[in-house]
Amino acid sequence: MSAIPQEAALPRTFTLPAGVQRAAMRVATGVALLVLWEVLVRWLAPAFVARPTTVARAIPDVLAQRNVPPGTPTFWGSAEETVLAALEGMVIGVAAGVLVGLTMGRLRTADRLLRFYVSAFFAMPIIAMVPVMELWFGYDWRVRLTIVSLGAFLPVCLNVYDGTRKLPAHYVEVAESYHARWWNVWFGIALPASLPYLLAGFRLAVGRVLVGAVIAEYIANLKGLGSFILFDARTFHQPEMMVAVLFLALLGVAVNAAADLATRRLLPWYRRAE
Amino acid sequence: MSTRSDGGARIAIDGVAKEFGGLRVFENIDLEIGEREIVSIVGPSGCGKTTLLRCIDGLVRPTRGEIRIDGNKVTEPPRGVAVVFQQFGLFPWKTVYENVAYGLRLAGASKEQIRESVPRHIELVGLSGFEKAYPYQLSGGMQQRTGLARALATEPHVLLMDEPFASIDAQTREILQFELLRIWESRPTSMVFVTHSIEEAVLMGDRVVVLRGRPSSVYEVIETGLPRPRTREVLSSPRFNEVREHVWSRLMHEAEQAERELQEVR
Amino acid sequence: MSTVQVAEPKPRLIVPQSVRGAGVSLLGLAVGAGIWELIGRRTQASSFAPFSKTMAALWGMTTSGELPHALESSLQLFGAGLGFAILVGFFLGLLLARIRVLRTGLEPYIAMLYATPMVALIPFILSLFGFEFRAKVIVVTLFGLWPILINTLEGARSVNAELLEVARSYRSSEPKLWWHVIIPYTLPYTMTGVRQGIARSLVGMLASEFLLAASGLGNLILTYTQRFDTAHVLAAVLTITLLATALMAVGRAIENYFARWKAGV
Repeated sequence: MSAIPQEAALPRTFTLPAGVQRAAMRVATGVALLVLWEVLVRWLAPAFVARPTTVARAIPDVLAQRNVPPGTPTFWGSAEETVLAALEGMVIGVAAGVLVGLTMGRLRTADRLLRFYVSAFFAMPIIAMVPVMELWFGYDWRVRLTIVSLGAFLPVCLNVYDGTRKLPAHYVEVAESYHARWWNVWFGIALPASLPYLLAGFRLAVGRVLVGAVIAEYIANLKGLGSFILFDARTFHQPEMMVAVLFLALLGVAVNAAADLATRRLLPWYRRAE
Repeated sequence: MSTRSDGGARIAIDGVAKEFGGLRVFENIDLEIGEREIVSIVGPSGCGKTTLLRCIDGLVRPTRGEIRIDGNKVTEPPRGVAVVFQQFGLFPWKTVYENVAYGLRLAGASKEQIRESVPRHIELVGLSGFEKAYPYQLSGGMQQRTGLARALATEPHVLLMDEPFASIDAQTREILQFELLRIWESRPTSMVFVTHSIEEAVLMGDRVVVLRGRPSSVYEVIETGLPRPRTREVLSSPRFNEVREHVWSRLMHEAEQAERELQEVR
Repeated sequence: MSTVQVAEPKPRLIVPQSVRGAGVSLLGLAVGAGIWELIGRRTQASSFAPFSKTMAALWGMTTSGELPHALESSLQLFGAGLGFAILVGFFLGLLLARIRVLRTGLEPYIAMLYATPMVALIPFILSLFGFEFRAKVIVVTLFGLWPILINTLEGARSVNAELLEVARSYRSSEPKLWWHVIIPYTLPYTMTGVRQGIARSLVGMLASEFLLAASGLGNLILTYTQRFDTAHVLAAVLTITLLATALMAVGRAIENYFARWKAGV
């Protein structure tokens, strides 16, 4: 026993803390990936194809909107369009998804009437509807709003439905023994119990909303990051295009990270409950 | 319901029967529970004691007969009646404080009432300092203390205990039994205590109701005749042993008969 | 047994719960088709077609061979893309689970690619690989890969340490450890990823058919949209919906098959 403190007192070989080691590994891997990209494109692809060096050089110009010829979409204007549309779609889709999901989870008739439709629309690629919607709305913001709202609605609805269906019966019983009315059960018990499911649906929704917005912008040629990307691609401005792609990637990462943080902050009970 | 601020209520169970589908769980249950009386209900598992308790709270409708509390027929969970559940029934997304406040909030209590009442009841069950803890951070015993505080916070006239200590380890169970008795002494209510533990039934009850048969019905009602307030000495008193042995023999007989029937079927 | 006879409840027409449920579901479908028909009849033919005309278009395209041909083309693309996604996702996932340096280094970038809307990369892929079949397969693979990879990685990393010790104590070799323990444990996770990958790959399939060389069901939708022939467009959309629903059902069945030992866990 007495040997242990002595051993601990011995000088140890110097090692970096685990966190620093990990960060170093990640940076190194990132650099390696960028070098690989740079070399492969230089070696195999035409000169206009984006490479890390050209993209890096394009970033300040794009963000400061310098050297923008008249008639071309501006980066921040496009980003604003896309982000606002995605936000609107999330608000509409999540609100409707929660309501319909709760209703289907609590009322068996609603479940039977709607289950087929919701799961069929969830499985199908909503973007198949973009061309039809152009016939309905014209080349119009309504196409994008419908697509992103549906993209958010379906995963949220199905997940909340799932969570509500799996609601332990004894929670409802406790609530009823305290004279809970139906709205207490729906919004006071079923909804909070389904929050982990809602968050999983929210993450799926973010992905679908961004994809839906960009595709709608491609096909219906709406102002936004989708058409910004398409315009730059067609005019051989690939580095500028990649800045927008990078922005979309970071947007997705940031929203997911925010959802993670919210889960840890707002649902501390979630991981270990049950 | 009654508007008295303390004390118990009178529960009258009159010819109650319950069937699920074609399965008759119990029938012809007649029972009166007096004000400030504790009645224990014991019986073999599957005899429907928990279902009977749910009928008293109006969570389950009896197939026949009726239950009245202070003369009012029970059709839905009545005011002034609180249940303590076997699986605690705590909401995992609510802290101890919010779980205890739940009944008051649903009853439409004011903020001041909640601020006054919830800490008092958390203290009553010995959970001060754990107000902000989530259920997963508590032991089973502490979770059930929370469940008890939630029930008591509504200031009920009737407490329905559904095997409240069955999922708690033996030592903690004993501590909680005497704690519940202490709390009851300070604020006596009518109490129906469902349990499958004979010791617990005798320790808690003024009377012990033995359910037997298939479908089950009241086989015997035993006056325990043990003094109150009840302390640990009760456990070693001759009277306690005598009543326990008596209840045990009644239930034993049932178990043996059930086994014999099973062999006849084979 | 008690000898007391209880009056049996009078025999009523008892409809089993499941039959009644199916009835309500069928009613829902019938109401949906009815609403579709009504809206279709009250709107212009160039923006919406009634259910009956859509069915007629579906029948016409099927018998003419147009639809089967498009379906075959789309399924080839989908199958090749998803197949690659499964191969790459599964093996890369196992590799990353095993090699810590690689995992630590790549994790943030995989998470980032998972969060990236892959459609944004389609013009880049076009410039590298053109717009024919090869490029389209890459798009489908890039859509479907990430959930398969991430779920496999997660599954292979969560193998119970006790099971690994059991294998070691029975002197299992490394390949046998993989074959008997790690891979069977991981497959249900992979299949959960595959189910998500199916839905994403379908989006990739359509996106590449819309945006790269038009082909298959995507081409059908684009062509008939340009002709304002909504009946045929809706028939193609309906086909995709049915295809997606069927593929999801297959995915779920496969997932359940590989997870059959998990029922009790």
